[in-house]
Amino acid sequence: MSVDGALFQVGAMSAFKTSGLRLMLLLAVLMPAAAAGGQSVEERMKVDLSQVGPQIGERVPDFSLVDQTGRTQTLQSLMGPNGLMMVFFRSADW
Amino acid sequence: MSYDSQETLAAFSTQNGITFPVLSDVGSATIERFGILNTVALEYLENDSDDPEFIAYVRQFATVGGRQERVRGIPFPGTFMVDREGRVTSRYFEDYYRERSTVSNIMLRLGAGEDTVTGTQIESDHLDITTYPSDGTVALGNRFALVVDITPGPGMHVYAPGASDYRVISLTVEPQPFLSVLPIDFPPSEIYYFAPLNERVPVYQKPFRLLQEVVPAVTPEAQKAFAGKDNLTIVGTLEYQACDDAICYNPVTVPLTWTVALRPFLRPEPRQ
Repeated sequence: MSVDGALFQVGAMSAFKTSGLRLMLLLAVLMPAAAAGGQSVEERMKVDLSQVGPQIGERVPDFSLVDQTGRTQTLQSLMGPNGLMMVFFRSADW
Repeated sequence: MSYDSQETLAAFSTQNGITFPVLSDVGSATIERFGILNTVALEYLENDSDDPEFIAYVRQFATVGGRQERVRGIPFPGTFMVDREGRVTSRYFEDYYRERSTVSNIMLRLGAGEDTVTGTQIESDHLDITTYPSDGTVALGNRFALVVDITPGPGMHVYAPGASDYRVISLTVEPQPFLSVLPIDFPPSEIYYFAPLNERVPVYQKPFRLLQEVVPAVTPEAQKAFAGKDNLTIVGTLEYQACDDAICYNPVTVPLTWTVALRPFLRPEPRQ
């Protein structure tokens, strides 16, 4: 399996945060047995990735996290003159 | 940002020459506050089902591996662009977790691209054309762009989508196995008023750019097909019809080629 960093390239990177906007991910509880005219797996469970996370125009949450050098970073500390780019990836470890 | 420890990210950054900050969100609290915690992965862990539809769903959104604890806390992977007020200005998420837009592709789509890859110049009678890929090297699953930069010659315009009765500009990529070709978003055109016929048609007169996004597949079949291949060549054609303010020329077909190097997946180095 590829390390999830396949995306990384030279380029400006920064983090961002939204203030307080929690996105409720709706996920139907997996019901026992799709039988008896129940919904298909797809209907029950389909996640719409266009709706997860902060939407265009919304603010990103605040955060305070350590980076790879041990420095604490926040939205403000990472912000560049033109804004920020934030990439969420799965893992650098597998 | 990932859920990895600082130590893991330090090693990863060193191995890959990464100098920009990579944030450690151990426990995934920030990932969760962003609302992008991968809930399909959690479902997979909580639920023993091997229903084929469920598994296909898991393979698309969460993992092609087994029920491993390490998928707990991963995000849906994606990229946000944020302005100085902290507001999202654009976002890039793919339905298949193993497909991902490259940074260069995102930059080009935002109009902020740099010409980092040497292009091919083509001069036709009516246009100057430069073609290049957004990335010189890609991995399977990378969503990248084939760029066609076009400068109409002096006094020339070419017909843009919506111009009836003329051959509108089109870019066609020759199909090949394991290559997804995405629909093109043509840039905005201008209206040209041709007095002798009293007609108004959408055209491109100023330099413009076409971005054709493609994704080489990353499925096991695709990986087998690409095994041992160092590069990927993509062939296409550009069709257009150009006019100056007196006459219209015959439609033209221009063959185009892009070649990118293929690199293998990055693998973490074994830990001591």
